[in-house]
Amino acid sequence: MGELISTVLFLFVNGMIWGLIIALISLGLSLIFGVMGIVNMAHGDIYMVGAVISISLFPFLGNFWLALLVVPLIVGFFAAPVERFILRPYEGHPSVTMIATTGISFIIQQIVLATYGGIPKKMLNPWPVSFNLFGVEYEGYRLLIAVISIGILIGLWLILYKTSYGILVRASIQDRNMASAMGIDVNRVLMMTFVLGCILAAIAGVLAAPITQVFYLMGNDVVLLAFIVVIVGGLGSLEGTLFAALSLSCVEGVLSAVMSPTQSRATILVIMIVILMIRPRGLFAEK
Amino acid sequence: MAGQYTDYVLEVHNISKHFGGLTAVDNVSYFVGKNEIKGLIGPNGAGKTTLFNLITGYLKPNSGKVYLNGVDITGDPPDKICRMGLSRTFQLTLIFPDMTVYDCIWVGLYSRRKRPWNLLFSRIERKGEIAEKVEEICHLVGLESRMDEVATDLSYGDQKILEIAMALSTDPVLLLLDEPTQGVSPKEAENIVALIERLSQKMSIVLIEHDIDIVMRVCRTITVLNFGKVVAEGSCEEIASNSDVQKIYLGVEGT
Amino acid sequence: MENKRLLSWFATLSLAIFAVLGFTLPSGARSLAIQIMVFSIFAMGYDISLGFTNQCSLGHSIFFGVGAYGAILSIAKMKTGAIGAVGSGLGAGFVVALILGLICVRLSEAYFVIVTAIISAVFHLLAMDMTWLTGGDDGITVIPPALFGKFTQLSLSNPLVNYYFVLLFLTVTYLILVRMLRAPLGKVFAAIRGNDTRALFLGYNVFRYKLIAFIISGVCGALSGALYALTLRYASADFFSFYWSIVPIVWCLIGGLGTLVGCFIGVALMSIFQYYVSAWFTHYLLLFGVLILVILRVSIKGVLGYVLKRGSG
Repeated sequence: MGELISTVLFLFVNGMIWGLIIALISLGLSLIFGVMGIVNMAHGDIYMVGAVISISLFPFLGNFWLALLVVPLIVGFFAAPVERFILRPYEGHPSVTMIATTGISFIIQQIVLATYGGIPKKMLNPWPVSFNLFGVEYEGYRLLIAVISIGILIGLWLILYKTSYGILVRASIQDRNMASAMGIDVNRVLMMTFVLGCILAAIAGVLAAPITQVFYLMGNDVVLLAFIVVIVGGLGSLEGTLFAALSLSCVEGVLSAVMSPTQSRATILVIMIVILMIRPRGLFAEK
Repeated sequence: MAGQYTDYVLEVHNISKHFGGLTAVDNVSYFVGKNEIKGLIGPNGAGKTTLFNLITGYLKPNSGKVYLNGVDITGDPPDKICRMGLSRTFQLTLIFPDMTVYDCIWVGLYSRRKRPWNLLFSRIERKGEIAEKVEEICHLVGLESRMDEVATDLSYGDQKILEIAMALSTDPVLLLLDEPTQGVSPKEAENIVALIERLSQKMSIVLIEHDIDIVMRVCRTITVLNFGKVVAEGSCEEIASNSDVQKIYLGVEGT
Repeated sequence: MENKRLLSWFATLSLAIFAVLGFTLPSGARSLAIQIMVFSIFAMGYDISLGFTNQCSLGHSIFFGVGAYGAILSIAKMKTGAIGAVGSGLGAGFVVALILGLICVRLSEAYFVIVTAIISAVFHLLAMDMTWLTGGDDGITVIPPALFGKFTQLSLSNPLVNYYFVLLFLTVTYLILVRMLRAPLGKVFAAIRGNDTRALFLGYNVFRYKLIAFIISGVCGALSGALYALTLRYASADFFSFYWSIVPIVWCLIGGLGTLVGCFIGVALMSIFQYYVSAWFTHYLLLFGVLILVILRVSIKGVLGYVLKRGSG
């Protein structure tokens, strides 16, 4: 019994850590969808690119922490012109953005396949220590992911609630037309939001690189989950997205003690459908 | 007291609607007789459109009842209520933007037919019963020369007339018009008002309007709403001389 | 209307070309043509959902997979002929479409998209997991069946028979769909697409019509899945993958949403790309991604939409 409890605890914490990574990705997606009406099918691939670039640049940077700083900036740098020149005309047309970003997804995946190759790689654990808490061994690095993610979430919260940019973003999520009618330079807000969303996904990718198989298709698994998390949490509610990401990942983690990964994933998907049937607007929807 | 007053086309008994803490419509009772034109006025946010939404089934009331020709329609869905003879227009002018005027009205007329196989496989003819009725309605509203034009190509005033035509296509006994002259030129407003006067011979009409002159001219009785409650009801002269009403409309010239 | 005539001509011409190509193409290209025809059925059905009633479903992989397994399992377990297999796929597809539609059609836009996507993911996971039924990712393989159980002369193992079998279904599906759309049903769909609130207030039970569109669309997806599985002689869990939910949108948007037959172009472009370009450039998807972006930039309404606009404008 004691072993079951510690296994469950371990899976719970593990799930929580993945939940934080998913939360970063989903929050980026939520911002991009909420502010710009872009259904970013390539969002998982941006997460993948973050992981891939950090592995590729690691020999040059030598330092994981440097990668954590540099890689998201590189991704953000390339995200800006994509928004400005490719996606902007379609903003507000969800189906079209879905196709356009699918096209971008093809392009990104093939470029990675051509340069990085098709073989999955894993980054070396940057902090190979482990802690013994309540009789269970926890990897130090995974706990560090938690700390860093929480730090970034706090930073995100500060940006959104304590800066003028943040107010503009939240206003735009509430009502795009109103925001533009108030003379706000919507275009700049849009570009910055897209870049921010992509940076969040890239950070998640860098953080995930040491604990998962990094290969060109790893984004596909994540993107659907991220969309679902955004909707189940409640469109337009960032707290909802965070809550949904954490709780669903924890539940999935704990379930994997008794079911196969495929079954646990299927189960949480069914749970999400049930949630949406009961509360069609999502858990924390506003209005 | 269900459907007691069967002379009335529309009976609204003590209807209320809350949204969270806000009461949009507060215990309103309202009656419309046969071939009567009634005006419904009040400041923005008074609950006029909400009342329309409650009557037409777009919203479910928290309490109260609605009867159309003596039949209880409270809580029924909008399409069912429409089929029973209640039509409306919207402030936003809901038409089918990419369809021609002819087709827009045709669709409304077709909804009264109930033959599924025809729905699936018969051809759409430009002659026959429905086609004649489309032309009839176009003549009635004055759009006969524009029948093949696409709805978005019409002027805003003509679009509002088109919406009225579409509302007519379902052969209503009661027509609810939500600000039919808003945003149109004075000449177009004249057209619309003349149309409403023609229509009043055949059906009951409730008119939400901000233009007091129009209301006074066209309507026999007027109801004034404020903060979701009925403030006053009566003939045009009574309303014009009502001091409470004048207070609400501070700054608006009385007649 | 001019547009209608243009589309009819395009459709008739395409079908005629397919009819001729069956005899003239070498076997590799013929297989490609079969694939294009099969996917065109899928795409036409999807256009009914997205293009004609604004229902952007991400769950059509369910129909594709169900149709495929309906066909393959009926051959493997019940020894039916090809027609029986297609019938089973259609029947299964209809049932699934009805149930799925009853659950999802009443949802508003974004939720409809997501819930269909979630259910599609669930089906995929279940298909991978329930290997006793589906064979998992390896799938189930069958011997190509005779057309009618007893009449073993004509069998799908003959590529020409296979080709014209598929062409028959494509033609019949097209004729049925275009008939429906030229009938009052088409106008009702157009009204719902134009403004579904207004359609509601004209007395139409909008939910019922959207459900009809969804079911038609799902049945087409299932038919396509059944024919694809019969042509390939197998079905695997992969038929439920999310790819099959996304790709119909690509086909329709590139070809022209709401035209019913514009998607032929989308299907053809993508399939030809995959077939020929992949021979000299393994990363052909990259070029295809660029092609998507270029087409969208020129015309959001896709290739045929662009042609129609130029024609009437």
